[in-house]
Amino acid sequence: MSAFRRVNVTGGVSRQSILAPLRETQIVSSKPVLPAEILSNILDYLPVPGQLRFARVSKRMREMVYDDTRWVQRLQLMGCWDENEARKRTEAARQKRSETLQIMRQENTKRAGIGVNGTASGINGSETPSVTIFDATGDVAGQDEETNDASLKAAPTGEDGFDAIDISPKGRPAAFIPPESASPIDVFTRVFSLRGFARQEYSKVYGALAPFYFDAIRCENHTYATVFRTYRDPSQQARMLSNISKFSNSDISEGWQKRKEKFDALVNAFEMAVSKEFEQALDAGDVAGKMRKYAHVLVYLNGGHSGVELFISRSSIIGSRYRLGNALDCLNQNGPGSFSAEESYSFFSNVSTAFNEQVGVIDQVFPTSVNAIVPFVQRVGKAVISDYLTTLYDEAHRTNTESYLRAVSTTCDQCLEMARSLRSTSASGDDFYETVDDVIASIFEPHIDFYLKEELEFFKKRSNAEVNNWERQLSEQDASMQSMFMSNVNRQSDKRDFLTSFKKVVMMPVNVLPTFPMSSPFGGKPATAKALVNGEALATTEISGSQTSTRPSSPGVINGTTLSVNRPATPLPEPPTTELAAKAAIMNSRLEGIRSLFSIEVALNLVHTAKSSIERAAVFVKVGGHFGSDARLQCEFVFISLLQTLGTRHIKAGFDQAVDHLSKYEPKEINEKQRSGVTPLVTFLELVNVGDLIQQMLDVFYEQELVATKLSDRNDFLNPAAKEKKRFEQMLDERVAAGLNKGIEVLMAEVEYLYATSQKPQDFNPGPASGGDPDITDIGPSQTAIQVVETVSSHTKMLVGSTDKNMLDVFNQEVGMRLFTALCKHLKRQRISVNGSIKLIRCKIPHHTFLRNRSTDPPYLSDMNLYFTYIETLKNQDLLQFFKALRELSQIYLVDPSDAKELATIIADGDRFQGIFRAEEVYQFAQRRADWYQIRSKVERAMYGIGCMVM
Amino acid sequence: MAEMQKIKLMSSDSAEITVDRDVAERSVLIKNMMEDIGEQAMTEAIPIPNVSSQYLVKPLQETNLPPQVNEAVLNKVIEWCVHHKGDPPATNDDDADSRKKTTDIEEWDQKFMQVDQEMLFEIILAANYLDIKALLDVGCKTVANMIKGKSPEEIRKTFNIQNDFTPEEEDQIRRENEWAEDR
Repeated sequence: MSAFRRVNVTGGVSRQSILAPLRETQIVSSKPVLPAEILSNILDYLPVPGQLRFARVSKRMREMVYDDTRWVQRLQLMGCWDENEARKRTEAARQKRSETLQIMRQENTKRAGIGVNGTASGINGSETPSVTIFDATGDVAGQDEETNDASLKAAPTGEDGFDAIDISPKGRPAAFIPPESASPIDVFTRVFSLRGFARQEYSKVYGALAPFYFDAIRCENHTYATVFRTYRDPSQQARMLSNISKFSNSDISEGWQKRKEKFDALVNAFEMAVSKEFEQALDAGDVAGKMRKYAHVLVYLNGGHSGVELFISRSSIIGSRYRLGNALDCLNQNGPGSFSAEESYSFFSNVSTAFNEQVGVIDQVFPTSVNAIVPFVQRVGKAVISDYLTTLYDEAHRTNTESYLRAVSTTCDQCLEMARSLRSTSASGDDFYETVDDVIASIFEPHIDFYLKEELEFFKKRSNAEVNNWERQLSEQDASMQSMFMSNVNRQSDKRDFLTSFKKVVMMPVNVLPTFPMSSPFGGKPATAKALVNGEALATTEISGSQTSTRPSSPGVINGTTLSVNRPATPLPEPPTTELAAKAAIMNSRLEGIRSLFSIEVALNLVHTAKSSIERAAVFVKVGGHFGSDARLQCEFVFISLLQTLGTRHIKAGFDQAVDHLSKYEPKEINEKQRSGVTPLVTFLELVNVGDLIQQMLDVFYEQELVATKLSDRNDFLNPAAKEKKRFEQMLDERVAAGLNKGIEVLMAEVEYLYATSQKPQDFNPGPASGGDPDITDIGPSQTAIQVVETVSSHTKMLVGSTDKNMLDVFNQEVGMRLFTALCKHLKRQRISVNGSIKLIRCKIPHHTFLRNRSTDPPYLSDMNLYFTYIETLKNQDLLQFFKALRELSQIYLVDPSDAKELATIIADGDRFQGIFRAEEVYQFAQRRADWYQIRSKVERAMYGIGCMVM
Repeated sequence: MAEMQKIKLMSSDSAEITVDRDVAERSVLIKNMMEDIGEQAMTEAIPIPNVSSQYLVKPLQETNLPPQVNEAVLNKVIEWCVHHKGDPPATNDDDADSRKKTTDIEEWDQKFMQVDQEMLFEIILAANYLDIKALLDVGCKTVANMIKGKSPEEIRKTFNIQNDFTPEEEDQIRRENEWAEDR
């Protein structure tokens, strides 16, 4: 072939040259003789005796037949060739190589003499000649060498050096078992993986089992088979059959299929008979006697699967599964559409008890080598639990979605708990609980996807309904919308208080599941925990009771409370959510004025719904596997949808509306009576407060429900829940910023309006009547100034603690600056006399002069000082500079008209105002002096005069 | 493939036999050859070479020389190929499960193999050379059945092998393997 290829590949050679060499080959002879590889192929198809006869044909044939791989293959087919063992033995042999030939020969003789089943070596001339180790070749010349080799291989079976490396108990050399005691029953324990001796090892098995095997196949009537006549005890029979069955795997000559079939039929007949006995014993309840005996027989025969199967199918837990509990009992116990966790719980505890009983029987009946419990668990899971649950879920889903959701989650949790209460047999290993978990996973598999979908749907529907409902109420109330100014509430501490209780509640499970009062391991703990929870619930109910009774006018609170109390079929009548409800009531009463745009109650309700949804879904995380990750994902989805509903639908709408109100605000349209504040701005600022509260609430919720329970990873910035949360916060900030922007404008409009309407011309220019003797009792800030400061400060104060510090600073600065400009503008519109300026100004520096000059009356409060003190509270350095300058500036009004020169100095002195006012501006202010026209020429002269001098 | 391509084969005694391409390609040898030389094989007869096989089993390596395939044998082989042209292609992993290959001989194959021993051997050799694994297996099985119960002497005769054992040696081997004899 390769010749053809080569010719072709080099290419370009004529077609003749390709086939030419073939044509040229000549017939030499026609007598067909098969080459060795074909003979070897033929050997493969020969049965064992045929092969060994073939060995006697010639030396080459013997070599072929004795080839170790041929026999290793058969050992492998029987599953008793261990490559590792063989390698170890070979290694050990190599180590032995250094020992003297003398010792080798001795050991070799020893092994040859007794190492092979029922035979002795031909070399030492014993009476039963069968297998020698000198069989690799018949070459006399090579004999010595072969002997050497063989002894090397045999060496490891000696006592010394070999035992050290022998790890398996099975591997104890057969050499020490006297041949006559060797029973075919344990023939496989005497087979080793010895390189170079595979044929001898195989011969042990063949010699022991082949006669029974072929006899069994020849036998027409199973009961007459030699194997049954030789061995009377059923367990011995079973072991023999098992051995023969194993041996039959090495039968690879033609027709093995038919033989195997025949033999299997025999085994089956035997198994049937034993099974029948087993069944009778089972019916008789003879656990320790016959049942145990025949179970062992079945195990010997083929691992006992049929026995286990029989046992399971006849087991009482499967047979009488309907007595353990009726799925439909769980539903409609407490009114239509309700789900009763107690019923399902009692079902699971029944299952658990029945199961543990059966486990006891299994322990007695089956030997430890058989893991009967795994199929048993699987069967119970499939036939009992799965059946029950499917019926329950179908029915629940048909009647009421929420009870369906509760049913799924509760039963899953109960199921997991039950799994922990199951007792494993002594035979089952550590992986028993893994198996149980697998079974549970497979039970819930068909339900889980649907459930998670329903859960999300349910939550969305619920939250949307909540928001819609609230919006509808809002529009009904819209006409009578009135806002009360929220005063004197220490918001920060209130909020902290509220959040603490919220945190507390969030940490507590909403659906407290009934614990399993198993008599076994977990008895006491949950019960006490329950009592604790109960106590707290009781205590808090009182609070909420008093709250709601004192405040009957807040229906939302009652709703909130009843929502949690009436949660159907919650085993505890008073879930601890009531404390939160109470706090919410307090909070709400304080925030009543701004309920109209969005409400913390709604947020709270939504959070509750989300919490119960997430908690229900989180149960499945425990199931593990891809359900776990599915459930986790679903929890995140619930959270996301919570954020979306709450954020975009509720809060954003509220803010938008507030901003809308703000922009429509027209100070002139509001009558004087309501002038306690800029109503829409107040509303808005309160909204900021509430929004912040809600945001913190969600943050706590996220931390507690999703991060703390490992449902979501906070540090994973790609995580959809974290992303959505960021977006929510951003949205909130954005709205707040936009609102504040509008708010400042509205606030300033209000300030300007105040200036325009309330400042009387006499305020700063009392007129000549009071002349040189200003009315000291009248000194103090003007009404206008007081009002302005009050308005501004009350609004800015509302933001403290509700928004981000930076935003607050920016807001304050902006307010301050705008106030500053408004004030300047205002001043420039006034006419100010020296006396009037006392009202306007009270500066620090001239303070002493005043005191000295005028009187020791209580300090005069002037407008400017009022502004300044107010600005000081804002703690903003830049603003302070401005107002300082403004205060300084006011001096120009204080200067006596006669002292034009000083006035000019002040006007020209740019440093005095830290560069905030230019000389021209100061000049403009100076123009507002009541006596300006009288002093103007003097001042100007002084100014420019000074200017000239300076220049 | 509108029309089945034809291939001409030439036996050692220069007889040309035309067969369908897919029949001929039961032989891996021819299949590979077709792939290598392509169209040329369509027009010209492919010689199935032949070499004397007057060898004893002794020089193992030399027996690799192509055996002789005369017209009768070639016809027989083609007959088999035609009958089996629809078989699924042989799997390459021949050692995957050694039990799988020892399925019983099909009835048709049994009849097909009812030929004299010389022809049987020729077929096996041809199958071996042409690399038709299934046919080779059937042949080997047939031979195995043939010699299953035979004594060493009969086997020697069948395969034309000379006994190079001393009587003692032969006896020792017999004793060594007594365990396998039916008791």
